[in-house]
Amino acid sequence: MGDKKEQFGRVYDQCIDKIYRFVFLKVSSAEVAEDLTSEAFVRYWECFNSGQNIDNPRAFLYQIARNLVVDHYREKGRAQFVSMDNISMADPVNLEEKAILSSDIKAVRQSLAGLKEDYQNVIIWHYLDELTIPEIAKMMGRSEEAARVLLHRALGSLRSKIKEI
Amino acid sequence: MISEQQLISRIKGLNQIKPRKDWVFLTKTRILGEASSEKGISIWEVLPRILFHPKLAIASALTIFTILGLVGFTRNSLPGDPLYAIKRVGEKTQAVFISEEKQPGAQLELANKRLNELTKIAESNQIKKLASALQEYQASIGQAAKNLTQQKSATTSDPSVIKNIAQQTQKLEDAKDRLERIYGIAGLEAKEGENPTKIITDWLIKDLEKRTLTEDQADLLSEAKESFSIEDYNTALIKILQLSELNYPQN
Repeated sequence: MGDKKEQFGRVYDQCIDKIYRFVFLKVSSAEVAEDLTSEAFVRYWECFNSGQNIDNPRAFLYQIARNLVVDHYREKGRAQFVSMDNISMADPVNLEEKAILSSDIKAVRQSLAGLKEDYQNVIIWHYLDELTIPEIAKMMGRSEEAARVLLHRALGSLRSKIKEI
Repeated sequence: MISEQQLISRIKGLNQIKPRKDWVFLTKTRILGEASSEKGISIWEVLPRILFHPKLAIASALTIFTILGLVGFTRNSLPGDPLYAIKRVGEKTQAVFISEEKQPGAQLELANKRLNELTKIAESNQIKKLASALQEYQASIGQAAKNLTQQKSATTSDPSVIKNIAQQTQKLEDAKDRLERIYGIAGLEAKEGENPTKIITDWLIKDLEKRTLTEDQADLLSEAKESFSIEDYNTALIKILQLSELNYPQN
């Protein structure tokens, strides 16, 4: 058990920020993101502790998180919108920088939330979580070429959305 | 039109979204804490040893099936159910085998169980059982705080005892908050005396004051004391939990 806990602890420390951010970018509040992220890690622990073979913990956690987000919207019938009220960030250096940063980030977040799920995922995974194209392709069950095309289209779509704001 | 580089740089700005540090810490502690409390002696560890002694096999099998049957029936019983009394007797019997040092932590675990029962009742809207569940919880948390203050010495030899008490108290606070916020259930304090969380946190601080701590642990203890002085017992508990996660200095 001790060894399992240690291994879980390592995965938790490596992935908690990423999974939280992934969920937060898809739901409307920090509170919901915390609930769903906790649930994702509890489910991961249950599978891991029951002896289930998990080749790629990060991919496994993303899959659980995706399912939880889908269930969340299905159950509650919530509209996907982005609120800046609950955003939790490190404090920028000064007020001017904070204003520019907030406005840029707000536009990106709003636009990202308006994209279809695959586009959101590929952008988050590649640019925020720094996954490589082969890793993304594997997680999405697509070829590397298809993943590359998807990322290209996702960026184009995001750019168009930002322009609309 | 923004360039691709500018767009990517803005996307990367989202890296600033981070979860609260105390939430990250508490979630990990809670998941692993629950895993520890779930760990018990498995029947599958005991059964093979008995089966290798044929004379004992039949008598043991009968006893095991009777016990398993009772445990199965009573485990999910709630206050107000006919089998609840049997469940409580089982818990009291188990408590006899727990060392004096670990009694406060065990008592707090029981208070957590009572609060879970209360939550189940509230979730399933079983109004008739609500009063007895509340009574069971109040008695349990009151007893836990009383046991703690009656300990002969505030200093225990095992640091994990401190951690367990802080974890259990923190879980109680979370569950209480949830019950009050979601179901509007008030009166979740012990019937008599002071706030049990205050008593327990005070006890933990006094214990830690007598210990040799590292510099980081001493800083966290100071922060815990500061939070305690302004009656923010929840933050004080978080600090104590953080402290107990660090390694104590070797004597």
